[in-house]
Amino acid sequence: MVVSTSVDLLMADTDTTSTAQSNANGMTEPTHLLKQAEIPGKGVLLGWLRQMLLIREFEVRTMQAYQNRLIGGFCHIYIGQEAVAVGTIAAVNPDDPVVLAYRDHGHALARGMDPKNCMAEMFGRIGGCAKGKGGSMHMFDADHYLYGGHGIVSAQTPLGTGLAFATKYEDEVISGGKSSHVTLCYLGDGALNQGCFYEAMNLASLLDLPVIFVLENNRYSMGTAIERGTSMAHDLRLKSEAHDINHAIIDGKNVLSTYRDFKGIADWCREESRPYFVEAQTYRYKGHSMSDPRKYRTKEEENSEEANDCIATLEEFLVEEHDVTKDAFKQLTRQVKTQVRQAVEWAKKSPETPMEEMYKDVFTDCWGPYTGTSKPDMLEEGGLD
Amino acid sequence: MPIEITMPRLSDTMEVGTILHWHVNVGDEVSAGDLLADIETDKATMELQSFDDGRVAELVISEGNQVDVGTVIAMLAEDDEAIVEETPEKPKPSIPKVTESAHRVSPVARRLAEEYGVDLLSVQGSGPSGRIIKRDILQLIDTASETTAAAQTTKVVPAEVVPSTVPVTPVQQVLPLAPTSPWQQNRSEPLSNMRQIIASRLVESKQTIPHYQVTMTFDMDPLLEMRKTLNEQLSKSGVKLSVNDFLVRCCALSMETNPEFNASFGGDCIHYHGPVNVGIAIALPEERGGGLVVGTIRNADQKSLRTISQESAYLSNKARETGLSPEEMGDTTFTISNLGMFGVDNFTAIINPPNSAILAVGAAIEKPVVRGGELVVGNEMSATLSLDHRVIDGAMAALYLKTLKELIENPASLLV
Amino acid sequence: MKVTTKERVIEFRDALREAMCEEMRNDERVFLLGEEVAQYNGAYKVSKGMLEEFGARRVIDTPISESGFSGMSIGAAMRGLRPIVEFMSWSFSLVAADPILNNAAKMLYMSGGQFGCPIVFRGNDGAGGQLASTHSWCVESLYANVPGIKMAIPYDAYDAKGLLKTAIQDDNPVFFLESERLLSTKCHVPTEEYTVPFGKALVRRSGEDCTIISFGRPLHFCLEAAEELAKEGIDCEVIDGRTIRPLDIDSMVESVKKTNACVVVDQSWSFASVGSEIASQIHAQCFDDLDNHVHRVHSDDVPTPYAYNLEQAYLPNTRKVCEAVRQATYNS
Repeated sequence: MVVSTSVDLLMADTDTTSTAQSNANGMTEPTHLLKQAEIPGKGVLLGWLRQMLLIREFEVRTMQAYQNRLIGGFCHIYIGQEAVAVGTIAAVNPDDPVVLAYRDHGHALARGMDPKNCMAEMFGRIGGCAKGKGGSMHMFDADHYLYGGHGIVSAQTPLGTGLAFATKYEDEVISGGKSSHVTLCYLGDGALNQGCFYEAMNLASLLDLPVIFVLENNRYSMGTAIERGTSMAHDLRLKSEAHDINHAIIDGKNVLSTYRDFKGIADWCREESRPYFVEAQTYRYKGHSMSDPRKYRTKEEENSEEANDCIATLEEFLVEEHDVTKDAFKQLTRQVKTQVRQAVEWAKKSPETPMEEMYKDVFTDCWGPYTGTSKPDMLEEGGLD
Repeated sequence: MPIEITMPRLSDTMEVGTILHWHVNVGDEVSAGDLLADIETDKATMELQSFDDGRVAELVISEGNQVDVGTVIAMLAEDDEAIVEETPEKPKPSIPKVTESAHRVSPVARRLAEEYGVDLLSVQGSGPSGRIIKRDILQLIDTASETTAAAQTTKVVPAEVVPSTVPVTPVQQVLPLAPTSPWQQNRSEPLSNMRQIIASRLVESKQTIPHYQVTMTFDMDPLLEMRKTLNEQLSKSGVKLSVNDFLVRCCALSMETNPEFNASFGGDCIHYHGPVNVGIAIALPEERGGGLVVGTIRNADQKSLRTISQESAYLSNKARETGLSPEEMGDTTFTISNLGMFGVDNFTAIINPPNSAILAVGAAIEKPVVRGGELVVGNEMSATLSLDHRVIDGAMAALYLKTLKELIENPASLLV
Repeated sequence: MKVTTKERVIEFRDALREAMCEEMRNDERVFLLGEEVAQYNGAYKVSKGMLEEFGARRVIDTPISESGFSGMSIGAAMRGLRPIVEFMSWSFSLVAADPILNNAAKMLYMSGGQFGCPIVFRGNDGAGGQLASTHSWCVESLYANVPGIKMAIPYDAYDAKGLLKTAIQDDNPVFFLESERLLSTKCHVPTEEYTVPFGKALVRRSGEDCTIISFGRPLHFCLEAAEELAKEGIDCEVIDGRTIRPLDIDSMVESVKKTNACVVVDQSWSFASVGSEIASQIHAQCFDDLDNHVHRVHSDDVPTPYAYNLEQAYLPNTRKVCEAVRQATYNS
């Protein structure tokens, strides 16, 4: 098993006359190849495998906990797409901002959030990453520069642009140096049809902001196939080229090519302080949310996608290239199962979010039950009178 | 220990689910991810997959059945998982309402009136719809203070803030205001236990039972005649039959022939009772807090007038003096409420659940009646049945009253 | 802290600019962004000269893209920058409802206190004059419903500067509602730096018979009405609430307890409005002090008409305030 080379990366020239053109296969023809990153060694790859296994096991137990009514509201499962989160997050620095849509558990874990806090958040407990105030769709983690999952489709795209604006402003205006961060802003293919995404791309391009819009194209926005909801779905390059933003397609089902291609893009964005639009082609195995019977697609399609599974692909690579044994995989699997079981148990034991938390974090100052006025201690002394 | 598979919540709004089809049988080996069943939710038909490896030990819920989310639907051998429990909702207590007076007074006018001891009934309001407003009270205080100012030596200032333009006046000096005696004032008193029970039971009865009423007038001459004779004969044994005792027996015998009057509405069925237990409404004296109870005369269809009379007297006395025990007031299947002794002509009563009917009895009244084409003086009594239409239809009610009328107007049959 | 210097009379728009410039000099995390704020010097000349002083990195022209630049600014605020976002008109904020209401207002809460949103959204609110309904929004009632935001409405140049400085220094999102019709009004504004605190109402006229409560531009009508009514022997107290969230209900209650009558003048529509909220709170807290129910003056319950005569009849005005006060005090 070798790394897929079917998708080549290109760096479109800002001169529109020489930008990449679609060929008959819908593939982009390279004009300037971006530097492809080297595939890391065995230790790192085993780390990625462990992350992907962790995400998958975590999501299985999330579904179970949902069905057992430990989790409420809407809940979106990431199974099948693990390679995207793991491969792209591995390609940036730990202090680069990350902002997410609502299918966000996988990225949160890949970014380093403790599964305990992630699970407890969904359980609505004080141990949750947002003290149980956000739930499944809203994973925030300041320590890991994770600026939230966001429940409204595409709401995170202007926010991601703003995070990039901020890092550039901090690096250049406040610190007086060179812009040195890149922001990862994830979106699903459903977000392609929201207006604010195009406003976000337009601003990012006008203001030269280092933000990568990572489109996780899993081919369905809720139950609507991309062709039914997005015009020009066969060539999404046009969506970003209209804003003079480079575009690339990467294989989101193979963490090796995801990383290899994405690392080059991330480095280029950081260096050039420019946005990028990356389409990671992937597939979600489960429904849009927990109540989705997936009647809009065939079992055959699901089976063929699941046959090309990102975890199996990496395992094969490790067996062939690094002589890793099946036993080692079993051991990893056992480890993550234990870790997730502990996370579930920990979350169950985490106390319910106490009532006083209801009134905290509405404002940075304290805010009690609504009485129509502010609390006296919120008001400053003095003033005009 | 086997693992329980519960009806999963497969959507954010799902409360119950139906097992459409089991894909596994008892004894089948399953592994995590295997399809177990098709489940119909409020939104769609969903697949239930196994989270664990194991062997199907039991299919608790069979196909086609709907169960609540969380219900155990199958058992897998090996492994164990906890199930969350739900806390039941607490019933909300009902809150009695307080009636308001219809007098219109602005709140600040009411407050000022209280402070200055102004009788609002004596004030003519100048606001819209005669509303008494601040200005009206202030004018009154002004006038009153002018008329009494000469006699004043000391002035008492009310505790509350008073507009500075208003001369302050002691409360007791203000004219033309008369003190109000306590009984004239509106008051609220907390409900006694009995009143609470009466309130909740009768509201429930009146709101949930589709009541209707049927009235009939009875010729009481034969019965009164017979009662007079019997009481004369039995006076030595200390027996005194009341009209009500006759009615208890009449009603009980009529129930025997009209069994739907000895029945209760059961939601999806009608319960027919064996024993005929007639309840008699007993008013309690004011000293005992008032209210009423229903005493039970059990198997009233099998008891003689004398026995009924004795039991009835015993129940009435005990109820008024020490109160009835639960056995003495439960299990009625029909109730009689008699206000005839107060001279009431006729009235309607509210059904005493789980009864299906109640008979409201008025007084036997001497009046001109037509008997055999002749206008004569006779005694007539009006009685009104209230009925639960879910159990008893109008025609059935009419039949019952007809039976009752035959018994009352031919009372000799009561003796056999 | 009463500031006492010799008279320096400047326009409302200059006061706003002074507030922004002072804060941008004091804190380089503060920047201004919006449509035509830089090269054009601001559609209403509020940001005139700021590009020159602070440069294009801190005074930023945006395309007409409210949803995009509002969301972008919120993202920047999550990192700790302190954006001032100018809406040419609050009417245009409606296309940015999702970022300003869902993200700015709730970010701190939904992140469990991890990411705040120190941002100011400011611009013209209310009818400018024959702009018809889509451009004449009074957003105060619409947005005041949302927990997590603060809202200020200055009436004069002094408060414009003092309140805007407080807004920029605040760690929470602030909706700052100006009025196109007030931008050219003038009053004394001291040279020294000062702030006006949030949640502290100002008694603009003292009186004994009726309390009139209002915010922003309609205060002009309230003060005129008070003079008019004084001739009839009705002595009004006029309270400028200054901020809607937080609301200084205590000062309002104190006044109503004295006058026993209250009129609320709110330029937004009456249904589920700031006016109805204040009336409800006054009824609750002054129940035994009221001689009449709280009367309210609002814009009529129709879309803002274009025609001059209709628009004039639609808006709150001095005559309507007088009439409401007469009714509330049983003098009609």
